[in-house]
Amino acid sequence: MAGFSELIKTFEKTRDYIRDFFICGYKVRGDFVRKSSRTYDDEKRRVESWLGDVVRYDDSVRGRQISISVDCGHIAENPLYQAYAAKSFTDNDIRLHFLLLDLLADGSAQNLRTLTDRLSSEYGVVFDEQTVRNKLREYAAEGLLIAEKQGKTAFYRMEPATADALFAQYDGLADAVRFYAQDEVFGVVGSQLLRSTGNIRGNDCFFRKHHYLVHALEDAVLPEILAAIAEKRRVRFRTFSAKQRKSPDYEGSSFEAVPMQILASVQTGRRYLAGYIPETKRFHAFRLDFIRNVKCADPEPEYDKLAEAYQRNLARTFGVSFGMRRDTGHVEPIRLTIRLNAYTEGYILDRLEREKRIGTLEKISDGLYALTIDAFDPHEVMHWAKTLIGRIVSVEGGTPQVRGRFYHDIRRMQEMYGGDANDAVS
Amino acid sequence: MTLFHEMYGAYFRIAARALGTPDLTEQALRCIIAEEGFRDSVLFVPQKLLPQTDGSDWGLLRRMPDGTLSPVTKHAPVMPLTLLQKRWLKARLADPKLRLFLDDTQFSAFSEQLRDIKPLWTPDMFRYTDQFTDGDDFSDADYRSHFRTILRGIRTKEILSIRFRSGSGRRMDMQYLPLAIEYSRKNDKFRLCCRGVRGGTLSGSGIINLGRIEQVTATGRIYAGNVSLEEYFRLRRAKEPVTVRVTDERNGVERFLMEFASYEKHTERDIETGDCLVQICYDKQDETELLIQLLSFGPVLEILGPPDFRAQAAARVRMQYELLQANQTKPES
Repeated sequence: MAGFSELIKTFEKTRDYIRDFFICGYKVRGDFVRKSSRTYDDEKRRVESWLGDVVRYDDSVRGRQISISVDCGHIAENPLYQAYAAKSFTDNDIRLHFLLLDLLADGSAQNLRTLTDRLSSEYGVVFDEQTVRNKLREYAAEGLLIAEKQGKTAFYRMEPATADALFAQYDGLADAVRFYAQDEVFGVVGSQLLRSTGNIRGNDCFFRKHHYLVHALEDAVLPEILAAIAEKRRVRFRTFSAKQRKSPDYEGSSFEAVPMQILASVQTGRRYLAGYIPETKRFHAFRLDFIRNVKCADPEPEYDKLAEAYQRNLARTFGVSFGMRRDTGHVEPIRLTIRLNAYTEGYILDRLEREKRIGTLEKISDGLYALTIDAFDPHEVMHWAKTLIGRIVSVEGGTPQVRGRFYHDIRRMQEMYGGDANDAVS
Repeated sequence: MTLFHEMYGAYFRIAARALGTPDLTEQALRCIIAEEGFRDSVLFVPQKLLPQTDGSDWGLLRRMPDGTLSPVTKHAPVMPLTLLQKRWLKARLADPKLRLFLDDTQFSAFSEQLRDIKPLWTPDMFRYTDQFTDGDDFSDADYRSHFRTILRGIRTKEILSIRFRSGSGRRMDMQYLPLAIEYSRKNDKFRLCCRGVRGGTLSGSGIINLGRIEQVTATGRIYAGNVSLEEYFRLRRAKEPVTVRVTDERNGVERFLMEFASYEKHTERDIETGDCLVQICYDKQDETELLIQLLSFGPVLEILGPPDFRAQAAARVRMQYELLQANQTKPES
């Protein structure tokens, strides 16, 4: 495998492979058709090298399955963070990193000419000024160096703050970072902070339940989106749906949108970019894991007005769907009548209260409660409503299709489980 | 400001440790590579760090007459805080959970230190659409105090006396060895993973909602025996995995695999039907949660076993079927 490297230049291709290994543990080599077999072999070897401890192999009739198998609630660090530690670089990148920081370690401010000369005189390595200038500017943008003008000349000094110093100064901060290093949002930065210290141990006592590790891979596109939201700008991006991306020629669909919020489902594991699409004049939620090539675009002059409209829309959003009137037709508020004994089954009442979201709960009579949800998309309500199977007395409103599907589903489930039910219930 | 940057990478970490290790030997270097690098890094990194006659190495180490390796740099490597890390820390200031770790004085000082930094995000940029609304009150003074006592107990292996209300409302007052703290974004609650202590020895495994704790007292007694989280997790685990068949109707396989990504599981796909056969490992305490989550997939998913788990699903489905029959509600399509 000549030319193989553990490191990668860009994140996006690898992100797809890791996601497939992690989410779809059943895939074999032949299922990865979008790129060549050679690409598959390289990506597979990288994943094995990064994540060796959690890679599982199973031989099936279709071939060898490779999956990332882990109980997400029982691990102290997300193994997928390893992908963020694999950025490729040049020999000059690593030399300049350590030598420039060494020259600036005393806290002094020095200019480009001095630093270039000292690289040569003190370490015997000759760089042209442009190469050094680029690195100094890059590190100033990343915050490792502070650039200050003296006259027309830029002087650079090292950022004095370190994670070690912060952890020594603030008791409890290291534990906070250990906790947040497990977070669904940019937890990887916490992990990087802990690893940048000389003597601070990693997380060993904070765990996450209902933890979707794969969100770490989506964090790669988040900074650009969040910057656009903060600056009230539009974003341009491409989306690649799960089915479409199987095609080797598919280049995705491009969109321009006014980003409003990241919508995250803590129960289905999906995260979305919610935004307004000027072209179609409507709000829409895009799966974050299908988004690529995000770029900040022009400022949106109507941002505040759109944000107000978005908030009004949220009042009728049960999950992430802003509805498609032309598809669903007229939608009435959906009303679920639920049976429960408030004295012996108070926990069900508690469940309804804490999970009803935009719904309104009212008592009809002893043992009967009505939950009314006025949502754009009643299908979203019904996926959740099925967690109440065994208690739903009736479903009213919504659309005839939604009600029909529910009754049909219950009939099918009764056929599916009927024999066992007779055995199990006395 | 870049999230995916080589300065956060494994190879840079290896180089930093190598440059900061006095009298570095080749063997010690290989140990550093094994600890900080990836599985195969030992195949790629040594020749870049060890001085090469053709100059193809990174030029960061020089060979000394005694065979050890010495850094070309004069100072131990320091990694300053990056802008990304500062903005990340600043964003955390808006999370009430941070106050569990920092007292008021520390919080004020830390906020002041990051005063001029823009947060990487603000809480209003994220909306957790289906998060439960009865999360813990992280601003409660007692809650914060309990949290800190527990965290100290974990660090020191100190046995704690804990009084709390159980899920069924019973008041409990027992001694526990705290092991770890679990947080769920879905529940927005912390739970304490612990072992019971009776007569100085460990008894069963427990999990206690921090929001239900009324009092935590440090006993001053340190548990001297061995205790492992692996054993704790093993004790919590159901003996048999649940087996389900998922069909691709309504994009069921993709939806299922995404929704159940947090569980340890084994998946096989039937090439003829496209159905997925999945074995899901779970903790015993999560049985009901798992059951209703599986039922929410409707007829797209069938629970195949174990028999008692399937029977619970069947009983709920039959109750639902009978409810609809009794109310004589007619299907409309």
